[in-house]
Amino acid sequence: MTLAAGIGYALLALGPSLSLFISVISKKPFLILTVLSSTLLWLMSLIVLAGVWRAFLPLKSNTWWPFAILILTSVSFQEGLRILFWKVYKRLEDMLDAFADRLAKPRLFLTDKMLIALAGGLGHGVAHAVFFCLSLLTPAFGPATFFVDKCSQLPFFLVSAIIALAFVTIHTFSMVIAFSGYAEGNKVDQYFVPAVHLVAGMVVKALSFTYLRSLSVCFMS
Amino acid sequence: MESILDSIGVEIIGVMSPVSICMLLVVLIVYSLSSSNPISTASAPSIRTAANLVYLESPSDSTSQKFEGALLNSLVFVILIAVVTFFLVLLYYYNFTGFLKNYMRFSTFFVLGTMGGSIFLSMIQHFSIPVDSITCFILMFNFTIVGVMSLFSSGVPIFVRQGYMVALGIFVAAWFTNLPEWTTWALLVALALYDLVAVLAPGGPLKILVELAQSRDEELPALVYEARPSVAQNGIVQGRSLDLLVGGVSDSRSVEMQTMSSNNVDRNESQIHANSGYTVIQDTNFGNMEGVQRRDEQARSLSVGFMDERRSSSCSSSEYSTVVGHDTEIVVDEERSPLVDAQETRNGREQMRDGLENSEVSSRGIKLGLGDFVFYSVLVGRAAMYDLMTVYACYLAIISGLGCTLILLSVWRKALPALPISIALGVIFYFLTRLLMEPYIVGTATNLMMF
Repeated sequence: MTLAAGIGYALLALGPSLSLFISVISKKPFLILTVLSSTLLWLMSLIVLAGVWRAFLPLKSNTWWPFAILILTSVSFQEGLRILFWKVYKRLEDMLDAFADRLAKPRLFLTDKMLIALAGGLGHGVAHAVFFCLSLLTPAFGPATFFVDKCSQLPFFLVSAIIALAFVTIHTFSMVIAFSGYAEGNKVDQYFVPAVHLVAGMVVKALSFTYLRSLSVCFMS
Repeated sequence: MESILDSIGVEIIGVMSPVSICMLLVVLIVYSLSSSNPISTASAPSIRTAANLVYLESPSDSTSQKFEGALLNSLVFVILIAVVTFFLVLLYYYNFTGFLKNYMRFSTFFVLGTMGGSIFLSMIQHFSIPVDSITCFILMFNFTIVGVMSLFSSGVPIFVRQGYMVALGIFVAAWFTNLPEWTTWALLVALALYDLVAVLAPGGPLKILVELAQSRDEELPALVYEARPSVAQNGIVQGRSLDLLVGGVSDSRSVEMQTMSSNNVDRNESQIHANSGYTVIQDTNFGNMEGVQRRDEQARSLSVGFMDERRSSSCSSSEYSTVVGHDTEIVVDEERSPLVDAQETRNGREQMRDGLENSEVSSRGIKLGLGDFVFYSVLVGRAAMYDLMTVYACYLAIISGLGCTLILLSVWRKALPALPISIALGVIFYFLTRLLMEPYIVGTATNLMMF
């Protein structure tokens, strides 16, 4: 029973990206490579952040400002990485266009560019879901589940899966928005993306602050 | 008109997807089998095998003891492998190919039968599948026999052969994950180093083997996964699209042990698509045979003009030549007439020796040794015993290492060891993830702090 529940949580978090992957990405090998490399980039950003924050962990859970600083630094680092990703992509686009000319094929269409952006975003989103949600879900496959006192209706895993789903969506599509913003020089789009990222992180933390205020463990088999 | 995104990277994905499948299945096997009886596996006496001849690891030993023991184990194992490889190369050098072939058949049979059998048995026990022993035996026997036949005879669909290759990798890797932890890590690093030496250093056994096989125009006497561009099943002409990530257009892409196969004198599989109006010469020619070379020049002049200036000096093989299908009379299809093929190559060998210096040796598809499959999967399987996070990090690291190797391959155009970069990245990422990232992630994620 809990195995089914664990698979259900995993699919809840990753199902939409899975179907996106199968229906759109997997037909074009280049997009798969893009997904992989963007996932790797996200992983490396996480490792760097973890290396920086390792000394200050674990944080005391009754004050709010260390969490705010952590989220602020992490989000700004990752948004900086997005700009780097855009620069690399720009160079890649030129190479692809030159290559297409050589092959006497059409250059990249607008839809192609958006597909590449989507693949990059999907990589970020999947990495997020895997590291923040799936790694938490490992105990969910075992013979128990986990509730928090404050909200005894909803298992903790379900909450984290739903939040992960929201973040996957944000990551996936903010890359498309950001790329089109960079391409057209649209300032609103460019600032919209980091703002959404930051606000989402802060809001989730603020809400979970009350939710997790009294962590207590109750196992059900 | 289809965009360029459809054609770029087909080959890289062609190598990466079997590796990914292999790793995924090994991880699943490790998960399902190790979680079944955590108590008994912990207390089970570790088996003594070739990989831990010297030192038997026990959890109570001190760290330095484990470290030394693991080093010794891996050293002994690598020496053992080196001796066996030299012996096989020696046999190949003196043309004992019959013995080698039978030896390979036997070992495949043995691996599929015993290791596969034991894995199937434990699966049956774990999931309590109701199968009687006679049926199980017959199924196993058939599975094994088909496996041996598909790996060593032509005429079996390439898909089956690739499937059995992956299955072999899975079995061996799942077996290797039984080794104790420290020994596994030491072994992986030692094998990566050995691979580096054996393929690249002058006098390295694998280098000798590859060169011998190339000079004889024979298949490499080893188990090698061949990622052929799957012959367009659904009517799409799939040109060999080398991606530009892999830099210049090289044809002799070979990872680890690789040679050209003896029978690919320009077999043009896209003949099948003659009715699609044009064929794509898939450039499988030995660029070094006079005739082929000339024809290639012709093909190039016919081609639509995408010769890269950077590489125009280097090669006689043009990758993307879309030509009208009249060149294809000379084409010999491997699947249909291997004998004629071998004959032709033998004739061509004279010229080939002359031209060896300045021409490209081309083989079709990327080939990946079975050992690479196995040890990638061992790393991931070992990571799976810790956490899902490390599995994912190691998977990404290995795949990106493989990508780097493929890029290097297209730059250097000779057989390259596939283990070192991937294993190095995999080990680094494993320990980074385990030591740095895990506390961070667990700390943030259990606080529902996400970004």
